[in-house]
Amino acid sequence: MASCEKRYVIVGASAAGMAAAEAIRAIDKRGSITVFSDEPDPPYFRPLIPFLISGKKSAADMTLVGQGPYCGAGIDVRLNSRVEKIDSWAQTLDIPGGERVAYDKLLIATGSRSYIPPEIEGTDTEGVFALRTLADARAAARRVESTQHAVMLGGGMLNLKASFALLERGLQVTLVVQSPQVLSQLMEPEDATLIRNALNNAGLKIETGAGARRILSNGNGVSGVLLDDGRIIGCEMVCIGKGVRPNVAFAGLEEIRIDGGVVVDRFAACSAGNVYAAGDAAVTFDPITGGRIVTGLWTNAVEMGKCAGYNMAGRHAEYGGTFGILNATQVADVPFVSMGIVHTTGRNYETHVSSSRNAYRKVVFSPEGTRLVGVLLVGDISRAGLYRFVIKERMPIAKLKSNIIDHTLHYGHFMCP
Amino acid sequence: MSEPKEIFVRLDRCMGCHSCELACAVAHSESRSLYGAIAEQPRPKARVYVESVTPRTPVPILCRQCEDAPCMHACIAGAIRRTEEGVVITQSDKCIGCWTCVMVCPYGVIGRQTEEHKAYRCDRCPDLAAPACVDACPTRALVYRSVKDFSRDTRQAASAGMLGAQRG
Repeated sequence: MASCEKRYVIVGASAAGMAAAEAIRAIDKRGSITVFSDEPDPPYFRPLIPFLISGKKSAADMTLVGQGPYCGAGIDVRLNSRVEKIDSWAQTLDIPGGERVAYDKLLIATGSRSYIPPEIEGTDTEGVFALRTLADARAAARRVESTQHAVMLGGGMLNLKASFALLERGLQVTLVVQSPQVLSQLMEPEDATLIRNALNNAGLKIETGAGARRILSNGNGVSGVLLDDGRIIGCEMVCIGKGVRPNVAFAGLEEIRIDGGVVVDRFAACSAGNVYAAGDAAVTFDPITGGRIVTGLWTNAVEMGKCAGYNMAGRHAEYGGTFGILNATQVADVPFVSMGIVHTTGRNYETHVSSSRNAYRKVVFSPEGTRLVGVLLVGDISRAGLYRFVIKERMPIAKLKSNIIDHTLHYGHFMCP
Repeated sequence: MSEPKEIFVRLDRCMGCHSCELACAVAHSESRSLYGAIAEQPRPKARVYVESVTPRTPVPILCRQCEDAPCMHACIAGAIRRTEEGVVITQSDKCIGCWTCVMVCPYGVIGRQTEEHKAYRCDRCPDLAAPACVDACPTRALVYRSVKDFSRDTRQAASAGMLGAQRG
C-alpha cells in the first residue's frame, strides 16, 4: 500500500461511525477505512430493534449497508472487535487477540449504553432488559414466549415503542413512570393529554409518580416489581428505559478530554491530534441555548458523523450543533414532533398554546418574542421541518410570527417574504 | 447520458389554478384516471403544494431533491435513498411512519399517508416522460429541463428583452 493513502479507523459501527465512513469515502476514494464494532451483528438501524420483538421485521430487514445513503463501498467492518486501548500519541489502538492497529485519522463513535439506575435492586435478574442492541432484542423476544405481563420502567420513547411491540405480541403491559406524565423529557404533563389518551386506548396500563425499588425473582427469573409505595406488580419481564450514557470507558483516553462524553470542537475534533468523536459518545452544543449537550438520537449521530468524516478526509465542515430535544414519532394513532425548548412552566418564554379535540400545538418564542425557540406539534405535524429550520437558523421572524403561531407557515413565505 | 433534469418553478407565471396538484394525485392513483382517482380509498395524494403568501401570489412548492438531502440522512429506517437518476425516493415497504423526515425537511414537502402509516413525497413520476405536474401546467410555470438548458433559456430571453428595448 502506498504510504500516501490514509488509514482511517473508526471505533463503533452504528449511526455516527457508518455515516462518517460514507462521508470519508465520498471524498477519499483510495484511503483504507476500517470500522470496529463490539457487536456480533453487521451494522443495523438501531431504532428498529423494537420491531424484532413485535415480529414485524427480521434482523436482516434492519441491515444498514446497502440501504438509504449507505453503500459500504470499500468500508471494512470488523465485528466482535471491542477496542480496548487507544494510544493517541503513537496513533495506534489495541483490539482483542493482541492486534495493534495504526491510524492516520481516528473517530471515536462508541455510542452510548443504557443507564441502569443503581438504586433499583435486582436489575441483573433474568428477564430484565434494557433494549439497546439486536442481541438485547433477540433475548427479549425469547422471553416474551414465557411472559404474560411485562413492566416497563421509564416513560420515554424507547419504552413506549417497546410497550407497543409487546402489546402487539399479546402481552399485558404496565408502564411505571416516575414523572407525573409520560414523555416528560419531550413535553410538559399538560401537553401530553392526547398522547396519554391514545396510550390508554391502546391498552397500556400506566402508573405515574411511581418508581421501582426492587425487582423480585423466583426460579424462572423475574416474578414481579416492588414499587416505592410498597405495591407489588407481578410480571415475568421488566424493561428499563431510563436513558443512555456515553460509552467512553476504555483505556487510553487520558490524552483526550472527557466531560460527560468526548469533548469536541465544531469540527468534531478532540483535544488530541487526528482524533475525532461523533454521535452519542460526544459532547456537542445546542444552538438555541449555546449549552453543551450529549444527545442520544440517531439523526443527530448521523449528522455529526458526516461532519467528522468530512473533516477527517480533509474537507472543512462545521457542525451546527443540535437541539437537546428533536423527536418525531407516532404513538398509537397520534403523531407528534417536539423540538427545541418546550418546557416553559415557570420560565419567561412567550408561549402560544392551541388545543382542539385531535390536535395540540405549543409554540415557544424567546422572552422578547423575536425568535422562535421551540415547537411541539401533536396530531397535526405537517411541515414541521420549517420550524426546525427557523429555530436552527435563528431566523428573524417578524412578518412570519402569526403564521408560526397559527401553524400556517409554508415555504412560500421564505420565497416571497 | 443526457443532463439530469430538474423541475423549475417560474413564479411569475403561476396563476394558482392547482392543476399540478390534481394531475399529481391522479398520476399517483391506482387507476391513473381522474374519475377513478376520486373514488379511491385511501384517496390519492398530491405531492406538489400550491400555497399562497397573499391571494395574488400563488407559490407551487415541491421536493427539491436536495443534493445533501436531510430526509435521507435523518431516516432511522434506511427507507430513503437516491436513485441512479438522482431522485430521492421513499421506499414504502421500509418506511415505519416515524415522521423523522417530516421533522427535518426544510421545504415541508413530505406528507403522511395516515391510512397506511407511510410517508410520501414527489418521485418525479418515473414512468412518465415528464412529471405529471409539469405536463398539466397550462402556463408553463413548471418546467422540466436540465440546469444548463434552463439557464440558457433564461439568458436568451433576457438578452432578447434587452435587444428589443434598445431597438425601441
